[in-house]
Amino acid sequence: MLKYLFAKEKDIPGGSASIFFGFSCIMWFIIGTGLGSFNAAKLAFPDFFTHYYALQFGHMRQVHVHTVIFGWIVGAFAASALYIVPALGNTKLWSEKLGVWNALLWNLGLMLGLSTLWFGMTSGREYSDFMWPIDIYIALFMVLPLFVNIFMSIVNRRTQGIYTTNWFFAGSFFMLIIVFLIGNMPEFLHLTGLNEAYMTWWFAHNVLGLLITPVAAAITYYIVPKVTGNPLYSHRVGHLHFWSIVVFYSTPAAHHLMSSPLPEWLKSFASVEGVLILVPAVAYVCNILLTMQGRWSMFVENLEIKYTITGVLLAIPLNMQGGFQQTRAINWYVHGTGWIVAHAHLALLGFSTFAEAAAVYYGMQTMLRRKLYSLSLGNFHFWMLLIGFSLYWVSMTIAGLIQGAGKIYEVPYLDIVIAEHPYMIVRWLGGTMVFLGNIVWLYNMYMTVKHGEKLEHGVLPHEVAYVR
Amino acid sequence: MGFREYRVGSIMFGVALATSMIITIYMPGLDISNTKATATALEKQLTYGKIAGFDLGDPFLHGDDKPIKVILKKDPKTGAVMDETAAYVFKPGTSLPSGLIHDQINGEAINKLSVSLGKTDQVSVEAGGVYLVEKSVKNGVETPYIELASVTRGWTIDATLKAADQEILAGAGKTMFVREGCWWCHTLLPEQTHDWQSFGRPPMLGDFNGESPTTFGSDRKAPDLLHVGSRNSSKEWMMMHFFNPRLVQPHSIMPRYDYLWGGVDKKGNTIDLNQWDKEFVAYRDGDRVYPPEVPDYADNSEIRYLIDFVLNLK
Amino acid sequence: MSKFLPLLDGLKLNKPLHSLSNERKIKEAQHIWEHESLGGIAENNNPLPRPVVGLLILTFLTAIAWTFPLFGQRPNAAIFSDYVTLMHSSPVQQVLQDPTLTTTARDKKAMAMIVDALKDSDSPFEFQRIQHPISMNDLRIMEPKIVELQNQHVDLSEYSIIGNEVALANFEGNWKEDGTRSRVQPWWDKGYMTSVYYFFGFCFAVIITVKRLPPITWKPDHTIAH
Repeated sequence: MLKYLFAKEKDIPGGSASIFFGFSCIMWFIIGTGLGSFNAAKLAFPDFFTHYYALQFGHMRQVHVHTVIFGWIVGAFAASALYIVPALGNTKLWSEKLGVWNALLWNLGLMLGLSTLWFGMTSGREYSDFMWPIDIYIALFMVLPLFVNIFMSIVNRRTQGIYTTNWFFAGSFFMLIIVFLIGNMPEFLHLTGLNEAYMTWWFAHNVLGLLITPVAAAITYYIVPKVTGNPLYSHRVGHLHFWSIVVFYSTPAAHHLMSSPLPEWLKSFASVEGVLILVPAVAYVCNILLTMQGRWSMFVENLEIKYTITGVLLAIPLNMQGGFQQTRAINWYVHGTGWIVAHAHLALLGFSTFAEAAAVYYGMQTMLRRKLYSLSLGNFHFWMLLIGFSLYWVSMTIAGLIQGAGKIYEVPYLDIVIAEHPYMIVRWLGGTMVFLGNIVWLYNMYMTVKHGEKLEHGVLPHEVAYVR
Repeated sequence: MGFREYRVGSIMFGVALATSMIITIYMPGLDISNTKATATALEKQLTYGKIAGFDLGDPFLHGDDKPIKVILKKDPKTGAVMDETAAYVFKPGTSLPSGLIHDQINGEAINKLSVSLGKTDQVSVEAGGVYLVEKSVKNGVETPYIELASVTRGWTIDATLKAADQEILAGAGKTMFVREGCWWCHTLLPEQTHDWQSFGRPPMLGDFNGESPTTFGSDRKAPDLLHVGSRNSSKEWMMMHFFNPRLVQPHSIMPRYDYLWGGVDKKGNTIDLNQWDKEFVAYRDGDRVYPPEVPDYADNSEIRYLIDFVLNLK
Repeated sequence: MSKFLPLLDGLKLNKPLHSLSNERKIKEAQHIWEHESLGGIAENNNPLPRPVVGLLILTFLTAIAWTFPLFGQRPNAAIFSDYVTLMHSSPVQQVLQDPTLTTTARDKKAMAMIVDALKDSDSPFEFQRIQHPISMNDLRIMEPKIVELQNQHVDLSEYSIIGNEVALANFEGNWKEDGTRSRVQPWWDKGYMTSVYYFFGFCFAVIITVKRLPPITWKPDHTIAH
């Protein structure tokens, strides 16, 4: 891959950047879930690996979070966007060379950012933990080239209209740059106090709401019609989804701080907007599920559809939780408990991971022009992810409810810790299953490169039967 | 077919995003920036210094570039006995907290008093200084302000440190709190619901002015610490708890912070963690009657900063 | 710069077609492109099914109702002002000093008496009293602070109970004649109203957008392209 860095644009085969991103994001996913599993082990068995500065929970937690967000999730977005955007525009990527450089800078930046974070160089602000030089690097050298590539590919498209997926890609990566630069203003401009606390959560909310949720949805907008062959149920509903994401998802940041002394009007505003997030959610889920009409057998038979639709179905509880858990009445009970941790994993490990895994499976086969090596291993990976995630989600939700009850009834804190312990062990088991499943995935992908059946020109991967 | 109106779409996109940012950033920003600092906020500013996270003054988060809080029982200049007073010593070159750099942080009333009574217009980073938080009562309204005691009372840095009854390195300690990720489990925000009854008063509107980062924490896996110093003020307990939490709380899931001792105890002897572990396991399994002794920490060890910070959370 | 312009000055479709596909695919794609099928994934123009429209309307209504400012309102000092008065009354004081009862029993009985006495009173705070039950110990903590405020003749409903403190509330209501702001949480709350206006703005914009789309009866004819 590195030989393309200095090659002429025309000598770089199409899809190189996407493949580079695709394999890096699988690697980061393994590292990220491995760290997650290690962290969970530390919560279940606190004396597991001690004495080491860098292996302490407080140093590792944020590394896990940022590895999965920037390495896996956003990396997988880049891998998907770099092949979906040209495909939908019926053109080549604007610059394959920029894409390859982008992937290299991405991996280097993450290595640098994560290692400095690991050794404690942090801003101390959740989700924007990276110190500010790294934040600037991410905005300018990781996200900006990606956005330019995507945007210029859309501008130079060979189709007349722009498909729904591409609205989201262009809009979201643009908003990501804005969110990164504005959300980190407290560090650039030394804003302090409640302003700093609020901006921290403004950033955290919008990095999820304006990037991860819409882009994961955008990917399913591509995969489902492409693989099933059904046209998207409704363009009109797609409009409702896109515009309500921009309008409603960008506003409720203050609902993360419902119990802090922020101005009361801000909390009221955020709370109404928070429930209104259900508007894009309902529009989106209905649109995709209605697109499946007449092709539901593919949910069982086809690997990519199985992943995508599982993700879409997980978006239903995700948004129901998200809409209501931030209202004053429910936030009172669940704020700061394991419930929220479960919810965050439902969004990232449930909804978006399943959607992206489908896109990476599909994209790697299309770009490599090879059929997936083994369906059985793909299915095994699917069930490891799904069962592992379910164990995690259910156990953390229960733990959160216990913690909430303990909080409301003022149970001595240690009793809550004792009551939660079994669920901490289940959480670790679930996380470890996800980790092991991902190693199988990497093996399957590697074998696809080496021994996958070659696809003829003009044939899409899902049109060919599996050999294994 | 009229849906190829991408220009209209782009403009609408911009308008939507801008409106959303005006409502969620500009409007709250005005409100929050207009709040007056409380005495708590002034104390925090002077205790924690400029910034506790990554900063060019302390890029590796070692706790450098931070002020020292001292407890005085006698006047450093005259030696006269006085009520217990907290003073904040900024050695020459120590960065100032944002309340002393920016005008908008503390509020107009406080700024005025700080200049007229506290002489904070003579603040200087190069010379350092000794600061106090004082209160002025006028018409029954209490207004806190910052006093530059090196000017108003002639307290020099050396004399103040010499006269100090106790040195509290809570500023460096907050850096440890941030770096070691304590706030991933311990919140600093008792909620305005029931849990103040066990964790104490929730913070008020002006309590954070000038503090950075605020480290509220969001994922509470352990007790809230905002007022922990009032609940438990035992340095010995903290020492044992940090060295191995299972020593005082058998069911605790807190990590051990034994590495913050820096490998040596107060007398400079090397700490053998493996040996200590063996003895602890023997104690836990009932083969030993007494737990192994927790080594006393050195005066400039990171654990000292952290314990000072935690005990200072009143 | 001309690369950036197509977005602004209309579409330029005169470039040679280059693609990842083979000749046959390119021909097909060209056909699709010319017949406006969005790069091989065709759009459709179905309306949302009625039940889903119902669900969306229900979402809007729920959002407004569930976050109505009165829910989750923080307790203010005025709610407990009557409690303090009754606490000082002689029958309650008698119970509180009754030597035949344990301390806990006294507190419970006295609190029950207070709640009972206020049951039939026609107070605007009835709903909030049910929402914020307190114990005798809570009342003891608040009592001196509420009495002090009562002596200052300020509006008690402008003061929130936060932890052990009785503090001026964090709301911003209307300007009063003396130039200060009302600190009582209004039923219409500023943030709530901002949300309502914001929502109407959204509906307005969506209606305009949808009006610019072809009618829902319009169907793209995919048979031409495929």
